[in-house]
Amino acid sequence: MKSAKWENIFKGWNNKESNEILTLKQVPVFRDFQYSDFRELENLMHKREYKTGDYIFKNRAPGEGMYIIVKGNVKITVGTRSKKENVFAKLTDGEFFGELALFDDEPRSANAIATENTQLLGFFTQDLMTLQERNPVLGQKILFNLGGLLGERLRKTNSLLVKEQTKK
Amino acid sequence: MRDQKNYIQLIYRIIIGLILVWFLSTIWPYISNVILMLVFAFLFTTILLSSVDNLERKINNRGVSVLLVVILLLGSIGGFLGSFISQISKQAIDFSKRVDKETLTIEFANLVEKFTSSLPSFLKTGQSSNEDFASKLAEFTQTVLGSLASMAGAVGNFMFLATMIFIFTIILLAEYHVFRKSLVSMIPNKYFEIGLKLIFNIEKSVSSYLKGQFLSASSVAAMSIAGLIILNLAGANLTLIIFIGIIAGLSNLIPLIGPFVGMVPAILISFMNNIGNDASTAHMLFGVLPSPFFIFDIILMFLIVQQIEGNLITPTLVGKSVGLHPMLVMISLLVGGTLLGPLGMLFAVPASGIIKVIFKEIAFVRQNAQYL
Repeated sequence: MKSAKWENIFKGWNNKESNEILTLKQVPVFRDFQYSDFRELENLMHKREYKTGDYIFKNRAPGEGMYIIVKGNVKITVGTRSKKENVFAKLTDGEFFGELALFDDEPRSANAIATENTQLLGFFTQDLMTLQERNPVLGQKILFNLGGLLGERLRKTNSLLVKEQTKK
Repeated sequence: MRDQKNYIQLIYRIIIGLILVWFLSTIWPYISNVILMLVFAFLFTTILLSSVDNLERKINNRGVSVLLVVILLLGSIGGFLGSFISQISKQAIDFSKRVDKETLTIEFANLVEKFTSSLPSFLKTGQSSNEDFASKLAEFTQTVLGSLASMAGAVGNFMFLATMIFIFTIILLAEYHVFRKSLVSMIPNKYFEIGLKLIFNIEKSVSSYLKGQFLSASSVAAMSIAGLIILNLAGANLTLIIFIGIIAGLSNLIPLIGPFVGMVPAILISFMNNIGNDASTAHMLFGVLPSPFFIFDIILMFLIVQQIEGNLITPTLVGKSVGLHPMLVMISLLVGGTLLGPLGMLFAVPASGIIKVIFKEIAFVRQNAQYL
């Protein structure tokens, strides 16, 4: 019979992947990461639960970082629910939002609302700074991947803008 | 009407605050030791956490990483103490070979005579009779026995505290991220990001303070070593001088008592080295003050080091590290010292740093309340 005490002491060597690690593996920001990298990220990230209709953050609120959806749905909107709510995006499992707050001190530019009971993982500026101090290689990898994704989005926005202008 | 409501709210808050203060002051004697242990364990955890995290990343096991770091730490402390004690005992053996009981008594008698003859006449006291001496001796023996008993109690208490702090540190190191996450998970969603920022800033403030303290202790150690090399401790070897410097640096972390603890080994070694040496017995500091065995030279050197450290290094380095103005550092040290003595002084600066962080975040929340 296995002793619980010894299992606890050697729990690090039991490489069973948690739900959180499985979700992180789907996120492009963390591509090419090793198992130990995911474990380090899991240690830093914060699991949160939101009920249907809960605000994750409000437009103009001070922003601290990004969220990754483990399970559930989130809509990104501007305006209030009573006055002209404009839905920008509907996000689901494995997708992320709010990443701009990792780079600047500006307030949030939209609302994020849970459209069903949702589980999220929060990754914040402070966590990134801690990671940068503890494991600079991993921190740089995240920044590089995030930079790549933001560049990709900017290119998409540019081409949309060009299309709109040529239509006119 | 609204003003009246605000007044009632204020009175209600003051009453709640007063009840809380009364409750805390009533239970404080029972919980103070446990809180003290936890605070020390938290400080040690902050110092060792990055080493454990780094090792865990390499061997992928938290428990074994904690064990290895703790063994390494205990080994280094043991090694340091062991080699210091062996150096001191070598010095003591050498001392006992050079001096027998009779010469020591004569040496002391000579010393007392030289010292009293160099004192101004109004400070000299009359000779005491043999009877006086006997009663004083009995009184002295009784005091020594009493002090020994209370010292044994204090040592026992210290050992218990040290063991508990050690155990708490191991638990905190092993489960730090779990505890932190549990704390964060208790914050309501509305204040989640702000709460996280607050915890991070408190951790940053404490770790910066510890870095500042480390710098301060290192500078005291370096200055003491330099000072002792200049004085040369009249014959002590370099290893011993380095040991004394490190002890002075470490003990300097404890306000008030610490700086004096640092002087003791230096004076002891100087005494052991110079007993029987006429030149050192007759030594005068600046040619004015009799300083047998260079005792007052050493005390003066340590006082200069402490003045530089206390008035220049600590307010600028430590104050900067927690983002407090030097003036505020001084005030918090005074308040901490008045309230809780040396321990209060030890925790005054990080506590002020934490209070500053909390007030800053409260102001931020009030400013952004409509967006939360």
